[in-house]
Amino acid sequence: MSSAVLTYPSDISSVLDAAKPVTVPSPWLDDLRAKGRESFLEQGLPTMKQEEWKYLSLRDIASRSWSASEPGPAVFDFDLPYVCPGSIRVQIVNGQFDRNASQVPAVKGLYVGSLASALSDHKAIVEEHLGSLASIDSHPFAALNTALFHDGVFIYLSRAAMIEPIIEIVHVACGSDQVSAPRVLVVAEEGASAKIVERYITDGETTSLTIPVTEAVIAQNACVEHIRVQDESTEACHIGLWESKQEGSSEYKAYNVAFGGKVARLDQNMSFTGEHSVARLDGVTAAGGTQIIDNHTRLDHAVPNCNSFEIYKQVVDGKATVVFNGKIFVHLDAQKTDAVQTNQTLLLSPDATINSKPQLEIFADDVKCTHGATVGQLEKDQLFYLMQRGINREEAEGLLVYAFAAEVLELISIDEVRDDLEARLYLKLN
Amino acid sequence: MLEIKDLRASVEEDGKEILKGISLTVKPGEVHAIMGPNGSGKSTLANVIAGRDDYEVTGGSISLNGEDILEMDPDERAHEGVFMAFQYPVEIPGVSNTYFLRAAVNARLKAKGKDEIDAMSFMKMIRDKIKLLDLPQELLSRSVNEGFSGGEKKRNEIFQMAVLEPEVCVLDETDSGLDIDALKTVSDGVNALRSPDRMFVVVTHYQRLLEHIVPDFVHILMDGKIVKSGGKELALELEKHGYGWLEEELAASN
Ligand SMILES: Nc1ncnc2c1ncn2[C@@H]1O[C@H](COP(=O)(O)OP(=O)(O)O)[C@@H](O)[C@H]1O
Ligand SMILES: [Mg+2]
Repeated sequence: MSSAVLTYPSDISSVLDAAKPVTVPSPWLDDLRAKGRESFLEQGLPTMKQEEWKYLSLRDIASRSWSASEPGPAVFDFDLPYVCPGSIRVQIVNGQFDRNASQVPAVKGLYVGSLASALSDHKAIVEEHLGSLASIDSHPFAALNTALFHDGVFIYLSRAAMIEPIIEIVHVACGSDQVSAPRVLVVAEEGASAKIVERYITDGETTSLTIPVTEAVIAQNACVEHIRVQDESTEACHIGLWESKQEGSSEYKAYNVAFGGKVARLDQNMSFTGEHSVARLDGVTAAGGTQIIDNHTRLDHAVPNCNSFEIYKQVVDGKATVVFNGKIFVHLDAQKTDAVQTNQTLLLSPDATINSKPQLEIFADDVKCTHGATVGQLEKDQLFYLMQRGINREEAEGLLVYAFAAEVLELISIDEVRDDLEARLYLKLN
Repeated sequence: MLEIKDLRASVEEDGKEILKGISLTVKPGEVHAIMGPNGSGKSTLANVIAGRDDYEVTGGSISLNGEDILEMDPDERAHEGVFMAFQYPVEIPGVSNTYFLRAAVNARLKAKGKDEIDAMSFMKMIRDKIKLLDLPQELLSRSVNEGFSGGEKKRNEIFQMAVLEPEVCVLDETDSGLDIDALKTVSDGVNALRSPDRMFVVVTHYQRLLEHIVPDFVHILMDGKIVKSGGKELALELEKHGYGWLEEELAASN
């Protein structure tokens, strides 16, 4: 490969100069943002020479001239994908919380609102957690997010709060060649529980770059289900980081659904800091055309007696490329760890590509860790069986692809979200 | 009427010829049994009728009611009324039995230019029919064949046949792996479908199935050819003397 492909002009750093000030003055935040800026400038854009970014060409991102995003409209000429009746609805446009378009009724034990406002209203908690998880020094885009973000959403579940309504966050990116840096902070205090749906969409076929960072802090005995859906246009670029930390006896179920983006990447890092916790990190990716979707997951079993389950399924069609890199680290002390990782790919076209790399590093000796990766095509026998009963080829193929992804989608406990994602998958495939 | 004339077929992959000139005419209302030793080509014949593309037809013809079906895809043949009960029904995890059956029923209705069946009448119809096969109702909400016992899979094939009411029923060793009670249930299911305008091709290895599903004709298939045809007594004769007897008889007559 020529070196021209491997080094990029560092054009994108010009957006740093356009970084917006935060509406609520906060020296603490200024400091955090300065760290982000410094870290980004030090790292620059990753190149394909770097192991962790080996399959992701950022040439397209590097060659465009980006500007920092402007505030977008509050009203769109399409329906925003809120699907749960009676849910709490949060609308974030180009990284900015839109109070008027959001519906946030008062719920006991719950705060949902603008991250910028929370910096003054919930100063202590926000300052304790914001930026505490995001590994900006190993993720240039998370560093860039940290340098740029000026708002976002803060979700706070107070001690023992059982939140019934689903919390639906919709991030809309709009305007061409704009970089938006949405920021999400979730703090679940001891014994709290909630279900969160976080979606990323674009206003039509916009050419945007979204670089979100989500941090989730899950305290003892808390239980959170968190579904992240990236369904942006296939003209948009999306590079995100999602990081979580779980204290003891907690449960965090994190689902990553990635359908959109011209170039899309998500790094999902989860770690256990307390024993007897359970984590799920499952994913469904569907890519077609010339899409590149890259998912990196990392699970840190730093303490004993935790269970993690990971099923990643990807459907790759056309000339698309999908990357899966799944790391599991079982530290020396993490005895009695039970970690299961499965990665399955369905290739629907001879020109589709999958790069799958499970990476288990186990330093403890009394653990149960399994992983398996398979790549296959549609089963001819199954196809023939369906067609023999009168179902046409197209529908039969659709059914089989859907069935393949269903194993993960069916884990989602919110019926409306599951149905919606099934319908989107079906649309995407046809 | 199903007319198979001098049918020759080979395995697509390696070109090996399996069916070496088979002719068979099945008239409405008739039940034809195909018997033969393992590897003689029984399943291949059934699959070629259904249109599996693992086989290449290198000669001869298959027509249904005067229409050539060899150029049709498997789904189009199904719309014309061809149904095959598989020797080894495949498991399809993630696709519910009910959803699958409804898609199949609607596909046929649509092909005939009719309206789709409404959900209520469909559920009632399949609940009634599953009882006939003595299958637990809960199989309806499970994935197609997934985790079914061998016997349940076979009964499920006949249940699907009862739901789809095809014109040409090709049964491939539906009796193998069934105990005597299941054999009776399956046979009752098949016999309930016998009618003056329905055709059956029943592939079996053993005569015992034919005690329950009494055929009008019996054909013996060996090495890709029908070597002997007769009435239902032929099956008994075969049971008594074995295929060796037939081989000797054939050798003697040559
Ligand atoms: N798809 C296939 N690929 C390779 N060989 C096949 C295939 N189908 C059938 N055969 C071969 O053709 C012969 C007949 O098989 P089959 O029709 O299954 O016989 P039967 O059902 O009478 O036992 C066997 O030798 C078998 O190995
Ligand atoms: Mg057979």
